[in-house]
Amino acid sequence: MKFKIIIATLSFFWMAFYSLEFYALEYPDYFPEPAYDFNKNPLNKDKIELGRALFYDPILSKDGMISCASCHSPYNAFAHTDHDLSHGIDDQIGTRNAPALFNLAWQSSFMWDGAINHLDIQALAPISHPKEMNESLANVVAKLQKTEHYPSLFAKAFGEPKITGEYILKALSQFQLTLVSADAKYDQMKRGELEFSEQEQKGYALFLENCNSCHSEPLFSNYSFANNGLPIDTTLNDFGKGEISGKETDKMLFKVPSLRNLSYTFPYMHDGRFKKLSQVLNHYTSGIVQSPNLAKELAAPMNLSSNDKVDLIAFLLTLNDRNFVFDPRHQFPKELLITNKQN
Amino acid sequence: MKQTYLLLIFLFPYFLAAQDNQGFMQFKLASNLVDKADWIATVGDSIQIETLKFYISNVQFFQNDSCVDTLDKQYILVDFESLATQKIALTRKNNKAFNRIKFNLGIDSLTNVSGAFGGDLDPTTGMYWTWQSGYINFKLEGYSPSCPARHHFFQFHIGGYQYPYYSLQTIELEVSNPNDIIIELELEKLLEGINLGTDYEIMSPNQSAMDFAKQLKTAFRTIP
Repeated sequence: MKFKIIIATLSFFWMAFYSLEFYALEYPDYFPEPAYDFNKNPLNKDKIELGRALFYDPILSKDGMISCASCHSPYNAFAHTDHDLSHGIDDQIGTRNAPALFNLAWQSSFMWDGAINHLDIQALAPISHPKEMNESLANVVAKLQKTEHYPSLFAKAFGEPKITGEYILKALSQFQLTLVSADAKYDQMKRGELEFSEQEQKGYALFLENCNSCHSEPLFSNYSFANNGLPIDTTLNDFGKGEISGKETDKMLFKVPSLRNLSYTFPYMHDGRFKKLSQVLNHYTSGIVQSPNLAKELAAPMNLSSNDKVDLIAFLLTLNDRNFVFDPRHQFPKELLITNKQN
Repeated sequence: MKQTYLLLIFLFPYFLAAQDNQGFMQFKLASNLVDKADWIATVGDSIQIETLKFYISNVQFFQNDSCVDTLDKQYILVDFESLATQKIALTRKNNKAFNRIKFNLGIDSLTNVSGAFGGDLDPTTGMYWTWQSGYINFKLEGYSPSCPARHHFFQFHIGGYQYPYYSLQTIELEVSNPNDIIIELELEKLLEGINLGTDYEIMSPNQSAMDFAKQLKTAFRTIP
């Protein structure tokens, strides 16, 4: 009994030193309520910083060469510019275009096919995928335990001196939750800080009429799954959500991506088939392939004159959030990783 | 916040004291398998087990038809690689007599959609799928000469938390000795309906996984 009391007292002192620096997610009042349940993983500065270190650390991969940021670069709004398909360990090429990471707190399923049902569990997929990081979470735990600085970072963040799979995943989740993009020209217009040009205003009207039903403002996606009429790429034969659910009605359905930061995140579509915005617009006006699963919003052809397209693109460019892309809080944490290099 | 800590100081020893032992439940294999390297003969087949682990959850104790108590630990990973996990301390809330137990084989769907957990549910246990979300409720891997896969290796990863492929099974068993419950898994019975020459891989939620799970449900028995 005495021993138990000693343990209880010690654990009290441990808890007293346990960081309680809570962090409130900032987002504009015109954003909806986040889908993420913060009560189950309350944001805390030490967990976020730990998550940031892990996000940029190639120790997560089998050969120590690939980090999350390898395919989710901050300067591309956490997507991977210039690669149509993602590029992983041993120069292997995956089957999909690495999606941009921002405003994840508003999403409740992840990956192009929705295979993942919770942000906290998402990182497991790229860590384990043989073409991405090809590592087991259990081995990541073992490797982190051998480093000099991670044990103390985990202790500081989670209040106990141990590293677990749960903690790794939750810390990664915390960092990614802080990636809020809400300071594009569009947002500044919404907040009344500036006005759109006449052309942007025209483009905005065209957007509301033609695009907003799926790429709904202010997040610029309803984060549903849809078949947007792309012809199948027979070199990949990727059926998206249908491959996960096995349902005929889910065939060729992919997650609707947000249009925010679109200049930073090219190429476009789940397989990166379009390099330019103009190609995307041409697809919607004249490239739609009719099929039983085609989104009903696209059943009737979209009529856009070439002037309309120019105006629409002018509006779409107001969704680029430079302040988000260059936010130092989201960048490589130099002070953390320089100490790690000895490993 | 301070009050919470004070409360914790006073209550914590009681939490620990409450965990005194009230007997055990043990999982064993019904066959004469001395260790997992042994071959066992099943109906017209012989197999060698490499991995056998599964989740049990929500253990309830019944006296006749009324539930009298529940096990404190909600999710338990039983791994035949580790004797310690096969023997589960019956840490309960009361000491009421019971003659029946009921538990889930697998993880409920709510837990499957609620993110990452620690302890027995930590994804490092290898009982969580990586390419899509969801726990593996039951994992059986091994070798059989009749299995045509590479190295004659068969693997059954049984999971799925969404209808129509919600593979969790509820198991109810009579108990004659409540202090030492021995639950046997009859692998022969499980593999009776499976032809390893044609069915040797289940690795996602589907109809085969459902069929396997239903067969699995019948393969547990208590020793009188």
